[in-house]
Amino acid sequence: MMTEQGRVLEALLSGTFICQISDEEAWRFLKISGNAEKIETHLALLNRTLATCAEGDVFFAAYQTLSESERHVLATQFQEISSNLVPLVEWLVLVQQANGSDVPITQSSAIRLNELQSIIEDTPAFAEQLAKISHYRFFGSTSVATEGQIKQVFKRLTDMGYLLKPNPEKQIYLATGKIEYLYDVLKFIDETEALSLSEQADNAVQQGRLL
Amino acid sequence: MNQNIHHAGVKFLNALSRHADLIMQVYLSGALDASKQDPKAIETLVQAGILWRPEAESELRLKQAIRGMLEGNLHDERNRQIDANIGSSLAGLKTLTQHYKEAMHHARYAESETYMTDLSQHVYALTESLGNSVRVLFSRINNEFGYVSSIDAKIRENQLAQDQVSELLKQLEMFQFDELSELAGSNRELRHLLVVTLQQSFSKVTQELSIVQARLLSLLGRFREFRGRTRLLKGFMLHMEQKPDFTLPDYSQLTQVSLLFNQAKPIIKAAVPDVHRIEHESVLQELVGTIKALNRVKSSDSKVRAAVSISVSEQSSVVFEEDKLKQAVESYFCEVIDSGKRITALEYQLQNDLPFDSEAWLYQVIGGYQGLTEEEQSYFAIEATGEPDPIYDGNYIIHDVELGLR
Repeated sequence: MMTEQGRVLEALLSGTFICQISDEEAWRFLKISGNAEKIETHLALLNRTLATCAEGDVFFAAYQTLSESERHVLATQFQEISSNLVPLVEWLVLVQQANGSDVPITQSSAIRLNELQSIIEDTPAFAEQLAKISHYRFFGSTSVATEGQIKQVFKRLTDMGYLLKPNPEKQIYLATGKIEYLYDVLKFIDETEALSLSEQADNAVQQGRLL
Repeated sequence: MNQNIHHAGVKFLNALSRHADLIMQVYLSGALDASKQDPKAIETLVQAGILWRPEAESELRLKQAIRGMLEGNLHDERNRQIDANIGSSLAGLKTLTQHYKEAMHHARYAESETYMTDLSQHVYALTESLGNSVRVLFSRINNEFGYVSSIDAKIRENQLAQDQVSELLKQLEMFQFDELSELAGSNRELRHLLVVTLQQSFSKVTQELSIVQARLLSLLGRFREFRGRTRLLKGFMLHMEQKPDFTLPDYSQLTQVSLLFNQAKPIIKAAVPDVHRIEHESVLQELVGTIKALNRVKSSDSKVRAAVSISVSEQSSVVFEEDKLKQAVESYFCEVIDSGKRITALEYQLQNDLPFDSEAWLYQVIGGYQGLTEEEQSYFAIEATGEPDPIYDGNYIIHDVELGLR
């Protein structure tokens, strides 16, 4: 039998993001003060450290010190993150628009695949957008039908840990903390590159260029 | 007089119930489409003061009193009105109290009783309206302003609600209980109404309003967060549309890498079963038991087989060749016996023009000799010509074999 601490450690070392949605028990364990320090000592042995994002609600393992080989890993990782940004952002905007509630997808948002699919199928503009998104290399769909495209997109997102399907028999997906991580990355880029993305969006709305 | 009021009230309520369908339609749609309804019914409702025409040219609408009654009763969230006019209600209460006290003073008991009923009615109305205001605010918070769809509209609604809360709080400051208790004096009934009832309702409302205020603030924070995120997403999409060649600098190569871009590589792989652990034996056995042995003939297998069948025929030809070799060796031995001369194997091969490899021929001759029985071997004398291997001692290289009779 493994202790909760061991389980959490294993999850962290296997590169998963721990949030309230994906693994509530582990998340609670890490939230209790003192436990994070215990984990930290184990991680330190392997040149790793407990990292958080989304205001401390999402945990993952980061490198403690960076030497040549670690930097090499990070460089490939960064390549992946930056090339996945556009498909992911476009997908988030599509879902938000299709939902019609003007509420962005955040951690614990529920997405009903069937509802979304019927809305997209009924709206040619959405269907076109989905076709574009699903054919990005990140999603890698080759299907021409909306159903095949959306299924592939959701499968990919679930594999990547952005979505979770709590009940295998129901087509309801929950957004995990990794979505929050994505927002953090966008915020970071916005600040570091001084893109003032919010202002750009505002100006576009004022000029009538509604997305 | 009382009889008349009763009569008129019943008539009014009857009119309401008779035309309930029509009234609800007007309530839901806002205005009456006069063309579709019975003009007589409309006339009755207008006369009863249920419907009215705000301007000469406009459509008929429900009177506010009826609308307010329905909203209050149906808990309709569209009702955003909050009655914050506590000041005038309080003034009314004070006036009535003074009337009552005066009537009591002059021992006009019948009159004083009417004032008392009026006063209770007003006090309860005030507490009810306070409770109602809070309930209206709560119901709007609880469904997060679900009646408007866009986040911007929700933010505006939230600000309206916050203004209403602060207005209500300001009005509540007008409750001055020392004044009220002085006014009530030692009269038990007055004290109960003006001090106890109002104070209970006051403390309940102020408590709830502070909760409302906190909830509104946190909701506003959430809405702003949503709006920020939406803008972030759309802004990023716009940016990528306008500058498709935009590439990010590699943040992972900075001296100080943000934790966001510092994810350690997964290092844990599944453990390997240890077959020597006795305590795992039963589990492992079970696992082995579940392995299915499938004997499927794959199409690729049959191809391999076809190839094998070809090689079989080749093998038979090889056997045939060996036979030839064997026969040749036998005829060589017979030649030696017949002629009685000593003939080397290579000489014989050359004479008879045998098509074998000379080395294979020599092997076969030696093998053939050794394959004879001991008795037969004794008839022949075999001698190999050759030399020891120049490098590897102990080896003897045979160039030729000479066979003769003893």
